[in-house]
Amino acid sequence: MKRMLANLVTVSTLALSVALGAGAAQAKDFLLGSELPLTGSLARVGQGMHEGISVAVEMANRSYAGKHSFKVQTIDDETSPAKGVAAVEKLAGDGVVAITGGYGSNIIGPASEAAQKAGLVYITSGGVSPELTQRGYPTFFRINNTDGYALAMIGLLQDMGARKVSIVYLNKDATSSLAKQVNGALTAKGVTVGMHEFDGSTSDFKPLMNKVKLQDRPDAIAMVGYENDYVGILRAAKVLKPQVKAMVGVWSLATAQMAKEFPDLMETVYGTSMLPYPVEFTHPEAVEFAATYKKLFNKDPDYLGQFGYVQTRLLIDAVVRADEAGTLSKGGLPDELRKTDANTLIGRVTFDKNGDNLNFTHRMGQHQGGKVVLVWPQDAANGKMNFPAVPW
Amino acid sequence: MSNSLLNRLLLVAALAVAYVGVPLLFGGNAYVLGLIVAALTIAGVAVAWALLGNLGGMVSFGHAAFFGVGSYTSAVLAMKLGVPVFAAMLLGGVGAALSSIAMLPALRLRGPYFALAILAYAHIFQILATEMTPVTGGAGGLLSIPRFPKILGFDFGEKLGGYLIVLTIVVLAAFAYDAIRRSTWGLALKAMHDTEVATRVVGVPSTHLKAAMLVLSAFITGVVGAFNAHFISFLDPDYAFSSGWTVLPIAAAIFGGYRTVWGPVVGALAIYLVDQLLFKPILPHGHQMVLGVLLCAMILFSPGGLMPALRRRPVKESRHAHA
Repeated sequence: MKRMLANLVTVSTLALSVALGAGAAQAKDFLLGSELPLTGSLARVGQGMHEGISVAVEMANRSYAGKHSFKVQTIDDETSPAKGVAAVEKLAGDGVVAITGGYGSNIIGPASEAAQKAGLVYITSGGVSPELTQRGYPTFFRINNTDGYALAMIGLLQDMGARKVSIVYLNKDATSSLAKQVNGALTAKGVTVGMHEFDGSTSDFKPLMNKVKLQDRPDAIAMVGYENDYVGILRAAKVLKPQVKAMVGVWSLATAQMAKEFPDLMETVYGTSMLPYPVEFTHPEAVEFAATYKKLFNKDPDYLGQFGYVQTRLLIDAVVRADEAGTLSKGGLPDELRKTDANTLIGRVTFDKNGDNLNFTHRMGQHQGGKVVLVWPQDAANGKMNFPAVPW
Repeated sequence: MSNSLLNRLLLVAALAVAYVGVPLLFGGNAYVLGLIVAALTIAGVAVAWALLGNLGGMVSFGHAAFFGVGSYTSAVLAMKLGVPVFAAMLLGGVGAALSSIAMLPALRLRGPYFALAILAYAHIFQILATEMTPVTGGAGGLLSIPRFPKILGFDFGEKLGGYLIVLTIVVLAAFAYDAIRRSTWGLALKAMHDTEVATRVVGVPSTHLKAAMLVLSAFITGVVGAFNAHFISFLDPDYAFSSGWTVLPIAAAIFGGYRTVWGPVVGALAIYLVDQLLFKPILPHGHQMVLGVLLCAMILFSPGGLMPALRRRPVKESRHAHA
């Protein structure tokens, strides 16, 4: 009996060892690469996306615990195209399975080309220029595009019933494309549109605002630029007080940061936003995302973090699927990512043959008393639009 | 062994390392080779800047203008008119040289006035590139610029090909600099530094010589800019006319020793590679600060730059040995 028991223990131990051994062989550590502007003129937005990427990795490590683990190697591209390329090449040399990150179409262009050459998937939410997907690179993916921002701005202006709109836009690729798209759509609907281009070095917007005020006399002013541009335009508008019913912008405007730093300028201003501020989540994944964000960075997430999270989580899930199918090491990740059809924090995501997410539609938020309230579309709104209203 | 012979032997050895050693060592490492190419791109502009500064006696803050004009000329010729890339690159240099003719009135100015005038010209060219949207793509720039072609089975569009091209540009620019320095033109230009009035009195056409140096410097910078456009395959006005294309080469030239021929090259390689390979991994967010401190230290302790400092050392050692 004793001998039988000893044999049983030995066999059980062996079986357990084999089982554990087999389990250990299946568990894999995946190294992701991230190339982002953490210094230079795009440092703030790069940092925002970086935080979202970190949250995605942290949450993936929890959900795949005991099975797989994920790490991310981040390289600062210093807001320079050449250094973006160098960063991708370094990450490729270090054996990353794919790259998540990138901000600014002018940096993403050459950096994603380097990733394409290295056969690495490059997924981003930081470049909305149409040219990026028109190249048809099989390894390039993005979860947002100009169309989604334009649709949100057009939808809001239409719901407001604006008949005359002045579009004040920065002469960059992404901003010009968006402004022209909004112009085309509004003009087709019989809205009178005035287009006003400005240069990135413009700091005094009073002459431009004066022209809008005296020449266009619009119902609403649509701003397409970046943070510093919005601040300049709103300061000029506050001085000249054009008789408009709304000030509407796009990205980087309806954020907690802007609400905190420029409360006097932001009140009642509209901008694209996936999230209200303070954040209100109901979906379990979104609740976990917000809690993890708070734990890691001691603050509420903003839209940059949300986009960084979504792109990275979709990538991680595709990496796992490709690994399980045995195609990861054979270049199967782009095909696996292209099979994505997920309901995410930014809505449904699928990718077309060029890697673009054609489902992307943004939401519009409005600054109201230090908060950002989602006001468009109706089904995503968590508050009422304060209209007509301007910050002055 | 005479100094001249020793220098020649050192140069041959350095060229052998550059053309054979580096490809053998780093040919398979796209990252390191990419960094060396970026450093040599800065080196090319640094040599052109030093040529104008040392021989022409003019401090330029606007070399980004030549870099940008060269890159746009070449990219537009290759993309829109189908000009072969190597020919377009040389024409990029010609375009930059032609643009420098617009700057000739600034030659009447001296010192900081010339430096500021040329800076203003650079800004004008940037605005032109932004506004000429049908040709230059405007603020959005140009993406997917044709890369260097394959010749006899060797792909110059790859990292190694790019390295060999930019290395050749830099070496030829340095040889041209050295040849001018040794010529009668070089002698006249050196004399002009001491007293321009006196050299004019003895019949030296000082304005013509300065103009020639400006045009040559612009040509070299334009070729380097054109190379960069085809190598990185992307351009926009902010990038092509970025002040970085002026500031970094100046820092490199001063760090290496802008009064020597190879100083700017050594300076560019040193500051870029040390910064990216050594300081950046240690200090990902503050590495530029270390580089700044290093540059300050170099200016304080060896105002002539790295090359003169390296040359001084063996002399001291030999004196000590003799003693």
